[in-house]
Amino acid sequence: MLRSKRGTILLQLFFATAVALIIAVGLVSVGFVRSYARTVEQLVLLEDLPRAMAALAASARPAALRLSALITASVALTIALLAIVYRQLLREIRRVREGERALSVLTSQLRQRSEAAEAANRELEAFSYSVSHDLRAPLRSVDGFSLALLEDYGAQLDEQAHSHLVRIRNATTRMARLIDDLLQLSRVNRGELAREDVDVSALAARVVADRRRQEPTRSVAVTIQPNMTASADPRLLRIVLENLIENAWKFTGRQEHAATEVGCHRSKNETVFYVRDNGAGFDPAYADKLFGAFQRLHAVTDFPGTGIGLATVQRIVHRHGGRVWAEGDVDAGACFSFTIEPPPTNEEQ
Amino acid sequence: MNEILLVEDNPDDVDLTLRAFAKSNIANEVVVARDGVEALDYLFATGPHAGRASAPLPQLVLLDLKLPRIDGLQVLERVRANPRTRLLPVVILTSSTEQRDLESGYKLGANSYIRKPVDFQEFLEAMRHLGLYWLLLNQAPPQSA
Repeated sequence: MLRSKRGTILLQLFFATAVALIIAVGLVSVGFVRSYARTVEQLVLLEDLPRAMAALAASARPAALRLSALITASVALTIALLAIVYRQLLREIRRVREGERALSVLTSQLRQRSEAAEAANRELEAFSYSVSHDLRAPLRSVDGFSLALLEDYGAQLDEQAHSHLVRIRNATTRMARLIDDLLQLSRVNRGELAREDVDVSALAARVVADRRRQEPTRSVAVTIQPNMTASADPRLLRIVLENLIENAWKFTGRQEHAATEVGCHRSKNETVFYVRDNGAGFDPAYADKLFGAFQRLHAVTDFPGTGIGLATVQRIVHRHGGRVWAEGDVDAGACFSFTIEPPPTNEEQ
Repeated sequence: MNEILLVEDNPDDVDLTLRAFAKSNIANEVVVARDGVEALDYLFATGPHAGRASAPLPQLVLLDLKLPRIDGLQVLERVRANPRTRLLPVVILTSSTEQRDLESGYKLGANSYIRKPVDFQEFLEAMRHLGLYWLLLNQAPPQSA
């Protein structure tokens, strides 16, 4: 860009010089011809024809010589200037061509990279599709035939054998849950973020209703702040609330009066949503480990789980340009907060 | 009469499904097709099943999606494209709840989509409900409509 601008300026400069030279030569020759004609005119008026002829002859030769020298010089100079301009132009054309070549190399590299990324994405999708279909089938066999053993041959098995089979079945259940959670974690990165205005209060109420259906024996007092809204992908926001509310229920399992609160408040121009419970809490020293995949702060025997839920929550919140954090203490409950960045406006895009 | 066509390539799943039917007192005869080609041959009375041309259609097809040769979705597509079988009740019975499987399954005209639970007791419960609904409650479409 800069180079070709410089080339244009050079070109203009050379043309201006050439034109100025040609004008100068023209002016000089016109002046010379005029003074020459005046001398001859005067001599002719004096009727001194032989002297006039002599003067004419005497002055014409050197004048003509000077004039032709001047014209030759200026023509040579102009040609030289044009040659320089031509060379400069060729150089500019070469530069532009090189630029085009470099650009096309970059474009093809970019195309290759995006094709590679697409291929990797397709591969990942094929992988999780296969996981989704093929990894669960063997677990069904393990669980089904363990149960068949218990049912059909239970009478011939001693207590220890029964206990082994129960353990096998529990392990398959955990494994199935692990596969589902991993698939969900991989899915939250897929697809476009489809933002819309979401009634967060209504969504939370639906999630809580689901939880009550799935764990009818639990009694948890839930309060949901009314009229909460957010601009978010409703499918993903539902996964966030499901995980946080399920956690709240899980970790209040030993509380006599389990309570969970879903609400929001304004803080520094942003809305902070939170899910608070009065459950087992966590050691704040390990708070940063909460959101890592497979990180667990409690023994599986105390509170079952795969350690993928909060990693999924974090991934979704980050995709919305928000932050997620946790506050709590051992046996003092936990409060998980997150923000949802408003969608970029048109001016920013 | 009133048979069930189970399209399933995994022999363990075949055994467990038959076990679940037996435990749920579903006494219908179960015909097993181990891939999409076998299923279509059976339904269209072609290939080794050429002699079935006048035999009645099964009352219900339980269709797995990931199958050798012709997969479940292609089977469904051909069943819906054939005038003899286009109204046949087809229930997809598979491992995944991948969004695209659900979408394609319903788009191609599946009557229902059930995910096989890993826990056999849940699977048993699902099969019991399925049998109750599709074999007893549901009114079958008229044959060769």
